[in-house]
Amino acid sequence: MAEQVPEVRAPARPGQHPTYPWPGKPRIIGTRVTRLDATAKVTGRAKYTFDITRPGMIYGRILRSPHAHARLTAIDTVPAQKMPGVRAVLPFIEPGDKVLFPGEEIAALAADTEQQAEDAIRAIKVEWEVLPALATVEQAMRPEAPKVFEPSNTRAGTAQEDGDLAAGFAAAAHTVDGIYSTQVQTHTSLETHGCVCEWEGEKLTAWVSTQAVHGTREGFAQGLKIPQANVRVITEFMGGGFGSKFAPDTQGILCARLAKMAGKPVKLMLDRKEEHLATGNRPSAFARIKAGVSADGMLTAFDAETWGTGGAGAGSDFPLPYIYTFPNRRRRHTDVYINAGQQRAMRAPGHPQGCFITEVLMDELADRVRMDPVEFRLKNLPALAPNAQWRRYFPMGAERIGWSRRHVTGDPTPGPIKRGLGCSANRWGGAGTGARAHCEIDPDGSVVMRCGTQDIGTATRTIMAMVVAETLGLEVAQVTIELGDSNFPFAPGSGGSTTAAAVSPAMRVTAGKARDALFARIAPALKTTADQLEMGVGRVNVKPSTGSGQAAATPRSLTWREACKLLGTTPVSVDGQWERGLSASGTSGVQFAEVEVDVETGITRVKKIVCVQDCGLVLDLKTAETQCYGGIISGVNYAVMEERLLDRNTANMVNPNMEAYLIAGQSDMPEIDVVLVDQPERGVIGIGEPPAVATAAAIANALRNATGVTVRSIPITPDKLLAELQRAGGTN
Amino acid sequence: MADDHVSRRDFFKTVGVGSVASAVVGGVKEGAAQGPAPLGPGEVAVTLTVNGRRHQLNVEPRVTLLDALRTRLEITGPKRVCDRGACGACTVIIEGRTHYACSMLAIEAQGRNIRTVEGLAQGDALHPVQQAFCDHDALMCGFCTPGFVMSTVALLEQTPSPTPEQATRALDGNICRCGTNVGLSKAVLALGGRRG
Repeated sequence: MAEQVPEVRAPARPGQHPTYPWPGKPRIIGTRVTRLDATAKVTGRAKYTFDITRPGMIYGRILRSPHAHARLTAIDTVPAQKMPGVRAVLPFIEPGDKVLFPGEEIAALAADTEQQAEDAIRAIKVEWEVLPALATVEQAMRPEAPKVFEPSNTRAGTAQEDGDLAAGFAAAAHTVDGIYSTQVQTHTSLETHGCVCEWEGEKLTAWVSTQAVHGTREGFAQGLKIPQANVRVITEFMGGGFGSKFAPDTQGILCARLAKMAGKPVKLMLDRKEEHLATGNRPSAFARIKAGVSADGMLTAFDAETWGTGGAGAGSDFPLPYIYTFPNRRRRHTDVYINAGQQRAMRAPGHPQGCFITEVLMDELADRVRMDPVEFRLKNLPALAPNAQWRRYFPMGAERIGWSRRHVTGDPTPGPIKRGLGCSANRWGGAGTGARAHCEIDPDGSVVMRCGTQDIGTATRTIMAMVVAETLGLEVAQVTIELGDSNFPFAPGSGGSTTAAAVSPAMRVTAGKARDALFARIAPALKTTADQLEMGVGRVNVKPSTGSGQAAATPRSLTWREACKLLGTTPVSVDGQWERGLSASGTSGVQFAEVEVDVETGITRVKKIVCVQDCGLVLDLKTAETQCYGGIISGVNYAVMEERLLDRNTANMVNPNMEAYLIAGQSDMPEIDVVLVDQPERGVIGIGEPPAVATAAAIANALRNATGVTVRSIPITPDKLLAELQRAGGTN
Repeated sequence: MADDHVSRRDFFKTVGVGSVASAVVGGVKEGAAQGPAPLGPGEVAVTLTVNGRRHQLNVEPRVTLLDALRTRLEITGPKRVCDRGACGACTVIIEGRTHYACSMLAIEAQGRNIRTVEGLAQGDALHPVQQAFCDHDALMCGFCTPGFVMSTVALLEQTPSPTPEQATRALDGNICRCGTNVGLSKAVLALGGRRG
C-alpha cells in the first residue's frame, strides 16, 4: 500500500531510558573501520561452505527435471548404483508425480568424486509424459490456456481502494495511461547454494551457505524429523545470498540423507545452472495504470491493474503506488503462475518494482503539467518525518548532481549522443529485534563475544566488534567476535536489513552487562564499590574519592589487563539480548542518475549516480558506504543489464550462466557519490536494501530526459529503446 | 565408465581450451611417431607446481585445474562460480598472465608455475594489492575477492602505473555480485599511483 508505513520505533518503554544507551560522544562508532575479516578474504584463508573438506568426504549431485511441466512415468536408479564410486542413491519423486518447472529435483546421489557423481547422475533412467507448459504471463493469462495450476493459473491478490476515484479523475487536468513492467532477475549469488553434512551418530553438523544459521537448523530438524538439539549449523563465511538463503532447501535435506545413507560426510553444492533455475528470483511486475494530475501539479487519481509472476505457484505482490500521495486510488493485483522456479525474497522484495513503475509515471505526469520533476515530487511527497526525509534529500541530491543544468525532456544537442538527468526516492523498514549474545571477559584481558548471527558480507563482525570495543573502552582488534554457529546464542536470520538493528543493541547491552559484572567482581580488591569504577580508554578508573584517607593506597587507574587479572581464575561470563531504545525502523533516501545514450545504437551508459540515504545511527561509516555502492550497482544491473530469459516454447531458461545473464563489470560502472546522513538520535537501522531500490527508476527517468521517449519496461535494452525512438518518429 | 560418458559439457570445455592438444603432445613425447598417446579416461599422474611447491596427484584427464587445486590440494582461494570462464572468480596467474583455472585442464597446467592468491602474502605481511583491497574496502562477501586480487596483481606486474582505462579493462574479466566495484577502482588506482 502506498501510504507511509508508520515508523516502527522501538523506544525504551514509556518513561524509561535504555539501560545502556548509545554514547553521546562515541570514540569508535561512526568512524571508518576496516572490516575485520578483510585479511582472511584477501588471502584466500577465509573458508566458505564451498571450501570445506571433511575427512572421508564424498560428493552429492542432484538429477533435475529437463521439462517445465511433465509427469514422471518411470525412474530406474539401478544403473546409477552400479556406477564407479557411487555410495548412495536417493529418489526424490515417484512415478505419477508431476514437476512444475525445469530444474525441479528428481533424485540425488553421492559418489567418491564429483566426476563420478556427474557420470552416475546421467545413468539414472527417467521417462516422462511431457505436459503443456506456460512460459510467459501472457500465455498463462489467455482464456484458452491449459490449466497447469490448481485451481487456476492466476490468483487474485491485493485489492485496495481509497478515496473517490471518479472525483479524482474529474479533478485531473491531464492523465497518463500506460503499461509498465519489470523483469525477473535471479539472485546469482557467487557462492551457490549448498552444504556439507556430517553425521556423528544421531547428531548432524552442517556447514551451510545460509543467511540464517538458526533458521536453517530448524529447517534441518523439521525436514529430517530430528530434534533441533541434534543439529548444528555453521556458516563462518558466506558468498552472497541477497534473500535467497534462509533454509536447508531440498538440496540440504537430500545432502543430509545421502550422508546418513553413505555413512560419510557429503558435500553438495549446486552448479551455476541449478542456481539460476531453482534457488529463487525476483518476480516480474506489470502494471496497467491510469493516473491523473491537476493543473497545479497535484496528484489526483491512480487506478492500476497489476500482475506478475513469481514462477510455479508463488506470489508476485509489490507496493504500489510507491511513496507519493495519490488521494484517490485503486489497485488490483493478480498473481500469475508459470512453469518456472519459484521466487524468493530478493534485496528489498517488491520495492524496486513499485519504485520503478511509480517513479517513471511521476516524470510523465510532471511533463504533462510542465513542472520540474523535483519540484513536482516535493509537491506530492508525504510530510517530513524521521523516516520520511525526502523533502530534505531531494534538494540535497539535486545540488550534488548539478540538477540546475538539466534540460527539459529530450536533449536538444545535435548528434546521436544524448544526455539526461533523472531522480527517484526509496523507503525501507530495517528494524531488528530478538538477537541474544554471550560475552566472556577472561583474566588475561581477552574479550570474546558469541552470537548466533552471521556475516553475509555486510560487515556484521566489524560493527559487532566496534560496539563491544566502544562499550569496554578497548580497540576493535582487542575484541574477538564469534558468529555463524547455531551453537551460539540465538539471533534471527539476516534478511530485510534487520541484522545491524538486531545485533548491535545486543552487543551494547551484553558488553555493558559484562562491564558491570567486571566492576562488581574487582571492586572489593580495589577496596571500593562497583559504582566507583568507570571505563577509560584501555583502563579501568577509580572515580576520585570524596575524601577517605584509605583511598591514597588504592591505585586510581588500572590498565585493562591489570583490572582483568583481578578476576583470578574465573572469567566474567554474561548473557544479554536486544533491548528497546537502541534501534528503530524506517529509512528514506533519494537517488539521481546521469546517463548518456547513443540514439543510433540504443546503448545506454550510466555516467553518475548520486545517493542521499539515511540508516539511523551510522556504525561503520566505511562499510555502510560500501553497502550503498553495492545497492546502487545492483540497481544499475536491474535497470540495463540482467534478465532471466525463458524460451517461449519450452519455458527453459536460455541464459542460466554468467555470460548471457548480464551483470555489470568494471567498465560498466558509473561514478557514484554517496551522502550518508547520520541520525544518531534514532538508533540503528539497516542499510543493506534501501540503496538498491531507487537506482533503476532514476536511470529510466534520466534516459527519458535524454531521449524524449519513455521506456516503461526494464531492463532498458537497446532494442526497447530503439523501438520507442522509432515509434516517436526518430530523433533529429 | 566408457568414453560415451563424456558429456557434451565436458567436451565443450575441452574444445574451448585451444592449447589442450599441444599440451598433451608435449607431455607424451615417446608416442610422437603415432600421434599423441591417449590419456584416461581413468586417473593419470599429474604434477602441478603451485606457488613454488610441487604437488603430485592423480586425477582424471577431464579434471580442470580449478577442481584439482580445490578438491585435491585444498587450495581453495580460487573459487568455482560460473565454471565456464565468465566470472573470473577462479583467476590464477601462470607465467605472468591471468588464466581462468576453470577453463584449463589440470594436465595442461603441468610444468608451469601456477600462482594463486595463497602465494601472495609473506607470512603476516600482505601483498600491497591485498593491503589496498582491505584499505579501500574492495570486498564484501569476499567470494570474488581472490580472483580480483589476482587480476590486479597481474595488471600491476605488467603495467606498474596503469591509466584508469587500463585498470578498468584489467578487471573486466571478473564479476562481483555484491557491487564492490567502487572500492576496487579506488584500490587499483591507489596502487598505481603509489608505484608510478
